[in-house]
Amino acid sequence: MTYRAATVAGLTTNIFFGLLRASVLLALLNAQRVNGWDSNDAVTYVVLTQAIMMFVSIFGWTDLMNAVYRGEIATDLLRPMGLFGFWFAQDVGRALAALLLRGVTILVISSLLFHIKIPSSVAQFLALLLSMLLALTISFAIRFIYNLSAFWSPDARGFARFVSVIGTFASGFLMPLRFFPDWMQQILNFTPFPHIMNTIIEIYVGSISGNQVLEALLVQTLWAALLVVLAQIILSRASKRLVILGG
Amino acid sequence: MIQVQNLSKHFSVRNPQKGNFSLLKNFVSRDSRILKAVDDVSFKVNRGEIVGYLGPNGAGKSTTIKMLTGLLVPTSGHLEVNGFVPWKSRQAYVSRIGAVFGQRSTLWWDLPVIESLELLQFIYKIPSATFKQNLEHFTKILGLDEFLNSPARSLSLGQRMRADLCAALLHNPDLLFLDEPTIGLDVVAKERIREFILHINATQETTVVLTTHDLADVQKLCKRAMIIDHGKLLFDGALETLQTRFGGLRQLVVDFALPYADLEVEGANLVSRDGNRAVYAFSREQLSASELIRRLSERFSIQDISVLEPDIEATIRLIYEQNLLGAT
Ligand SMILES: Nc1ncnc2c1ncn2[C@@H]1O[C@H](COP(=O)(O)OP(=O)(O)OP(=O)(O)O)[C@@H](O)[C@H]1O
Ligand SMILES: [Mg+2]
Repeated sequence: MTYRAATVAGLTTNIFFGLLRASVLLALLNAQRVNGWDSNDAVTYVVLTQAIMMFVSIFGWTDLMNAVYRGEIATDLLRPMGLFGFWFAQDVGRALAALLLRGVTILVISSLLFHIKIPSSVAQFLALLLSMLLALTISFAIRFIYNLSAFWSPDARGFARFVSVIGTFASGFLMPLRFFPDWMQQILNFTPFPHIMNTIIEIYVGSISGNQVLEALLVQTLWAALLVVLAQIILSRASKRLVILGG
Repeated sequence: MIQVQNLSKHFSVRNPQKGNFSLLKNFVSRDSRILKAVDDVSFKVNRGEIVGYLGPNGAGKSTTIKMLTGLLVPTSGHLEVNGFVPWKSRQAYVSRIGAVFGQRSTLWWDLPVIESLELLQFIYKIPSATFKQNLEHFTKILGLDEFLNSPARSLSLGQRMRADLCAALLHNPDLLFLDEPTIGLDVVAKERIREFILHINATQETTVVLTTHDLADVQKLCKRAMIIDHGKLLFDGALETLQTRFGGLRQLVVDFALPYADLEVEGANLVSRDGNRAVYAFSREQLSASELIRRLSERFSIQDISVLEPDIEATIRLIYEQNLLGAT
């Protein structure tokens, strides 16, 4: 019951902010095309980012960090399983629930209010799904890594917040990356953040197609692989520093 | 099974800064000291033993158990369990051990107990025949039926501990670590848990290392005790040895047939008297019980008599309090 109330409250907030963001963006666009996008693309962008922001935990995540500080991580370490895989499995579950319960609802409600685009081919849809899976992997690996900083610092929450804020900006959640100046886009392309959201957006809106999509998916895959490996390396360092409190 | 040589774990703890700007000083201060939570400890545990690991609060018991279970990396020394160095090959190692930390549940908080157990079956890759058999068996001995379908967060402490114990043993581990498994439980629940530990040890030859502040646990479960204080291992040996070496005084309770005025007797202290009942304390070395009884019966007419051995609780309290083993 409280759970349902929370969901409704969450949805209401989400739609409110969606409307706010859409009107700001439309005012900026002023019925013109900017960098290849028209107002329809812009509204679609806002709806889509609102729908997937929980899926990729755009505002950050500190569950693992809290488990480290409370010593609950001991329980996980007493099990014959890899920490990364175990937490990733949980996060995939959480993300899917967020996508199906919130994401889909938002898409449906918004499509009643606005005219928004939908993927036009099976290939585009499949590319979208793959891109979302990779985005989740990248997002999780980044979150996992900054959570591991709890092994080094007694208060790593500030660091987590810092990375999250960078993420909201650099992933294209606050503003479409194609509206940024070229030089800034180029800098961001050297980071994994655009692959958490921007790549999904570009594929969904259809502003990239064919080989560009394949290329984007390839780069996304490489980032995912790199970050997963990095997470494992940092994890093995971290577990040697482990201090379990209590008892 | 367990081999520990010169094992130490030191923590560096910051000295709190006092005075003005203490918050800032704490932040930049490098002023710290070394706390030797476990200090040069060596011991061996053989297969099938149940060892009680005792010591006052902050002695280093949990720290030792954390190293033995691979949760902490030792500062120095050698540690080998079951052929593994726990922290080096954590995943392979923990699949062969079970652990229960009384202060902390290992069950998933929101899941019904049975689902936590099923998840463990998956994680430990327990064959379903073994799982079914163990679950059925443990459920019966521990009486888990009534709450198998309740979420772990709704369980009482005693129920939770029983469920945790079941969870720790489903995969038939060779070794079981128990850190205060009876903390906060009532007498019946404690008894149930002790019976279960004895049963597992007897039927599966499971080696058990347990820490506790309840000496009835030790008396009931262990033949061997280790005592640690300030990180140093002070005693390692049979429980009986502990009692004979440091045992307090034995007591003789006598019911006299008549109300005598003077009950003093040579070689024993009159501890208390209440009507016709008197309690004498005497030491094993100075006087045998039969000699004391003979001296008493020479002078008085006696109705009833019983000898009380010093209990382990008093013995160990004596050791802690009077520093009998020479801790520094
Ligand atoms: N992570 C840590 N950092 C600093 N000091 C620690 C840490 N963990 C334990 N200690 C210190 O090490 C000592 C031993 O602690 P430990 O938890 O092993 O005691 P214990 O024997 O289990 O006590 P209790 O019976 O109270 O559970 C204590 O002085 C404790 O304060
Ligand atoms: Mg302890």
